[in-house]
Order: sequence, then C-alpha cells, then structure tokens
Amino acid sequence: MMDLTVEFKGVGKHYPHFNLDNIDLVLPTGSIMGFIGANGAGKSTTIRILMGLVHQDLGAVNVLGHSMPSQQAAAKLDIGFVSEDMRLYGAATLEWHMKFVSSMFPKWDQAYADKLVQRFDLKPQQKIKGLSHGQRVKAALLLALARKPRLLVLDEPTTGLDPVARREVLGELMAVLADEDRTILFSSHNTQDVEQISDQITFIDRGRIVDSDDKEAFLDQWRRLRLVLPQHAELPHLPGVIDVGGSGRLPVLTTNRFDPGMLTVCQDLGATVQAVDSMTLEEIFVTSVQHRRETLTV
Amino acid sequence: MHSDLLISQTDGRPMYLQIMEQIKLKVAVGDWATGQEIPSIRQLAIALRVSVITVKRAYLELEREGVILTQQGKGSVVAPDSGLSPRLHEEELAGHLEQAARLGDLLGLTTEELASRLQEASGRRIEDGLPKEME
Amino acid sequence: MNYSMVKRLILKDWYLQRMAIVASVLGGIGALGVVCIGGQAAFMIGLVLLITALIAVGAHLAIATMVNERKEQTLSFVMSLPISHAEYTLAKLLGTLVIFMFPYLVLVLGSAALFAIPHGIPHGLLPFTTIMAVEILFNTCLMIAVALVTESQGWTVAAIIVGNISINIVGYFVAHLPDIERGMQSSSLMWSPTASIALLVEFALIALMLCLTFFLQSRKRDFV
Repeated sequence: MMDLTVEFKGVGKHYPHFNLDNIDLVLPTGSIMGFIGANGAGKSTTIRILMGLVHQDLGAVNVLGHSMPSQQAAAKLDIGFVSEDMRLYGAATLEWHMKFVSSMFPKWDQAYADKLVQRFDLKPQQKIKGLSHGQRVKAALLLALARKPRLLVLDEPTTGLDPVARREVLGELMAVLADEDRTILFSSHNTQDVEQISDQITFIDRGRIVDSDDKEAFLDQWRRLRLVLPQHAELPHLPGVIDVGGSGRLPVLTTNRFDPGMLTVCQDLGATVQAVDSMTLEEIFVTSVQHRRETLTV
Repeated sequence: MHSDLLISQTDGRPMYLQIMEQIKLKVAVGDWATGQEIPSIRQLAIALRVSVITVKRAYLELEREGVILTQQGKGSVVAPDSGLSPRLHEEELAGHLEQAARLGDLLGLTTEELASRLQEASGRRIEDGLPKEME
Repeated sequence: MNYSMVKRLILKDWYLQRMAIVASVLGGIGALGVVCIGGQAAFMIGLVLLITALIAVGAHLAIATMVNERKEQTLSFVMSLPISHAEYTLAKLLGTLVIFMFPYLVLVLGSAALFAIPHGIPHGLLPFTTIMAVEILFNTCLMIAVALVTESQGWTVAAIIVGNISINIVGYFVAHLPDIERGMQSSSLMWSPTASIALLVEFALIALMLCLTFFLQSRKRDFV
C-alpha cells in the first residue's frame, strides 16, 4: 500500500463563475509533484482546499493522515505553505517573523534557518517592507523551510525571481527531498522547472484534472511526427492525434498517445517518417490547452 | 554541491538520455572504474536538480544495458567488463549512418551514390594523414 | 481549542499594534486630565474627548488587525500556521477587546475616581455614566465583529459611523428615561430598576453579538 501524503477523492467546489469538478489527486510520500495549468484553471483553489483554507463542497481531502478542513490545525504542524499572493507583515523584521514562526512550530531548526539566511542573502534586521519582491519570496520560503515540514505546498514559488535566486530555491527544494519522508507539491508557470524536478505532473484545466501521471510516462506519450507524404496521398488517420500542423506533403502530427505502432501505420501508408520529436512540457502544455479550448464547449 | 555530471537545458534530448550518456562516457574513459560505487539515485537527483524519477529511469536503462549493477539496499556500482567503449562507438556510428541514409533520401541519392560519398569521406581522412585506428 | 496558539496570535497582534496601544493609553489619561480641571463643562468636554478617543482606538484596531489581514494579504500567512478557524476568530476577538480594555479601563477607573472624591462629579450622574460606558463597550464589540466577519473596509467604516450616531441617539434616549432623568438632576446616587434593566440588556446584547460572530465565522467556507 503506497504511503500517501495527499489524497483528494471526488473533490468539488462551486463558485458563481467557476467550478472545480471531480478532483482526484494522489501524492505519494517522498515525491515531488508539479502542478500546471493556465491562469484560472483551478490550481490555487485546489491548493487552498488542500490547506483547509477553503471548504470543499463535495468529496474528501486527506493530508498527512488528517481530514481537511476539520483537522487542519494538526495537519499544518507538518506543512510549509507559501503562495504567490501571500505577504508578511511589512512593519516587522525578518528576525521577528522567524521568532514568531519558531514559537509556533516545535520542529523549527534555527541552525538551518541561519544557513538559509546566508544562502538566500537576506538580512534578518531588515523590515519586510524594505525588501524587494524576490527577497520577500525567499523570506517566506525560509520561514516555510526552517520549520522542517513533512509536506511543502508552494503556489508559484519561483515566479518573479531572478535566475540566480531561482536556482537557489530549486536547490533548496531538491535538498528537502534528501529525506525520503518529505514531499513537495508546487504549482508553477515555469514549465522548465516543473519538467526538470517533478516526479509527478498534474495538469489542470478549467477546473478538471486533465492528466496526473509519472513525469517520464507523461512525456513519453507526447510526440511530434514529421512525415513526408507521397504524391497525392491522404493523411493517415491515427488515434490520439490532436493537432496537425505543417502543410502540403509535410504534415506534422502531434499526438498525446504515442505508440511505436503508429510509425508502422504511417510507413504502411507510404509516408516516410522523417522525425519523431519529443516535446517539452511547455509545448505539451500550450498544445493541450489550445486544443481543449478549440474542441470543448464551455 | 558540485556534480560530476552536468545537464544542459539547451540539449533537446530527454534528460534521462543525457544522464545515461554522461555516465557511459565516464565509464568508457575510465573516470568511474569498474566496481566503483556511483552516487545513489536520490543523491544524484539532488546534485543535478533533476527529479528522482528521471534518474531512476536512467539507472534502470543503464542496468538493462549492463553498464551498472544495482544491489538491493546497497546502491549501484559500475558493472564489470561492460565493454562500453567499442559499444558506445557502435551506437554512435549506427546513429550517424541512419542520419546519412535519411539525408541521402532527401537529396534523392541512390544507395550507390551514398556509398561512394562515404568512400570519398574515408579517402579524405587518409589524404589528411589522419591515422586509422588499429583494430 | 489550543489556547497557547491563541495566546501567541494575540501577542503577535499586540506587538504589531504596540504604537496604537501606547497612544490610546496616553490619550485616555490626557482626556481625564481635562475632566479634572473641574466643573460640569470640563466634565462634558472631557467625556466627549474620551468617547471620541475610544471610538477612534476601537476603529483603528478593528481595521488594523482584521480588515488589514485581508487587505495586506497576510491572512494566508496566518492561516498557514497550525491553527483552526475558531482559534483565529477567538484570538482576534479576545486580542482586540483586551487591547481596547487598556484605554477603556483608564476611562472607567478614572471616572470612578472622579465620582469617589469629595466635590467631584455629582453622584446623580452615575447611572447615566455607567450605562453609556457599557454602550461604548457594545459599540466597540460591534465594530470588531463587523470587521472580523466582513473583512471589508467599507462595511467596517459603515459600522463605525452607525455606532457613532447610535451612541448619541442612545445617550439622548437614556437621558430622557424618567428614572434616569430624575436621577441626573440630583447630587446623590439614585439607582433605579430602569438602570439595572438597561445594563442587563446591554450586556446581553454584547454576549449575543459575540456568539453571533463565532457562528458566522464558523460558517465561512472560503476562509482565505
């Protein structure tokens, strides 16, 4: 039986202009899940439900063995949460925040906090309102990391960070995983980061989970086939082709259910397979969202 | 933590392939000796800032190819007698030949024309005085 | 309910509001000083000053500790701490009321002293003063409750204005209640059942409002 840190079963939430629909999510302990979706797709709502900040209308949410939102106080003892719209108290210093947070979390590691202050190049005596955006994000991350949580929930952790800061943050996140009992869920628009460090990828669009899979398996299913058609030939019909680009005798088929058997089908029909390209997560994401927008009625 | 390996973001190939290739190279040139312990999946993942699952896939493939051996609960080591160096070159050659064949097709060359081009290229090497490797 | 967490939340708010707290205590003492100048006019002026100061403090606290958590986007930071919605509500209500108690008690004790000393404020004014003092407390609770439940600056300001007006209306109404009116003319204390009933009603309303606040807070499904 897989040890699960997060489990969503049939979760739904209704808003006047937006619905979260039948969300099933599973996050195994020790893994890192990247959560991607367009703006307004439901990432933040899902994360808020996970944290017990929003009460779902339907379904069960279980985090670290606690039912949410009713047992959120107990669950949050082991969770570090940072969201993009979260702010610290401007009039207070980073040092005050560290003292405050450490007083509420018994697992606070001051030595680690001090190390992070150095690594993130922060000044504890400085008031939060005097910090740049990037410094504020790092400060909030520091407060979340130093409490040594078993689960890190991050809503856009690297948005607005300069490349150096981004690398530092990713490094710290990966270091968390050195302990096999710790888990990370992060949502990000930075598909490159998600592609690089995620074990699992969950893709949400318009309030529904479109895909939730092992990253390598997910990436393996998407391919671009560059074909050369013989004269006067018809495009072969293949299941799972969701986009056809190119023109004339040089079509480019995009498929999200790639199977090596497809190549044989193409060749049997006389087409030459010029290339079978894998796709970056960004390309997959954009293609998927556009395809859904074109084919699904609201 | 500096890593022995380096993953390039601009390299278009899947990351697990990059990892595999670099490990095979390390073994082929002798940086990582036979029987030597290699970083655990998790350690390498953290060092490279790459997901555990990608490193795991690379290691699984490497084990399938006989480059490394994973001992239950004890990590992984370089496999003995992997015969890697000539194998690497074989793989590279096969790849290049496929490319050549495809380009030949596009240019509309016949197999004979393609073969003669190869002879030309090989001949140029002798002219340039480059030694042919001893078998 | 984890009371040590609630305590830490309250201490957090007190730290962040420390300037306002000090200012309000000093302001209260200052207003009392005006009253000590003596005479009914000074008493009235001092009283108005004190009431104004208290309302201002209450309003500031309501906005600063509750509306601003939403406005300044610190609410999700607070709720990421290991606390429940109920603990947050209790911390805000209790914390703000206790802060308010500082200037309020200055008013109460100071006024009590002024009644107690010889040649101080005529004792006939005691029932009226007591009723109005509790009315101010009710008013503050209302502001705090509205701020906490609505988290909106607009609604809170509306509650402040309504409260301000209603204190005047209630004051006028109470002062014209027969028993109270008669008592105010005399120089000795005339405690009437009317006064007792008035006080009881006020305290009951305070308790009711606090319970209603807890209830409404617990019904919130989108806490952040």
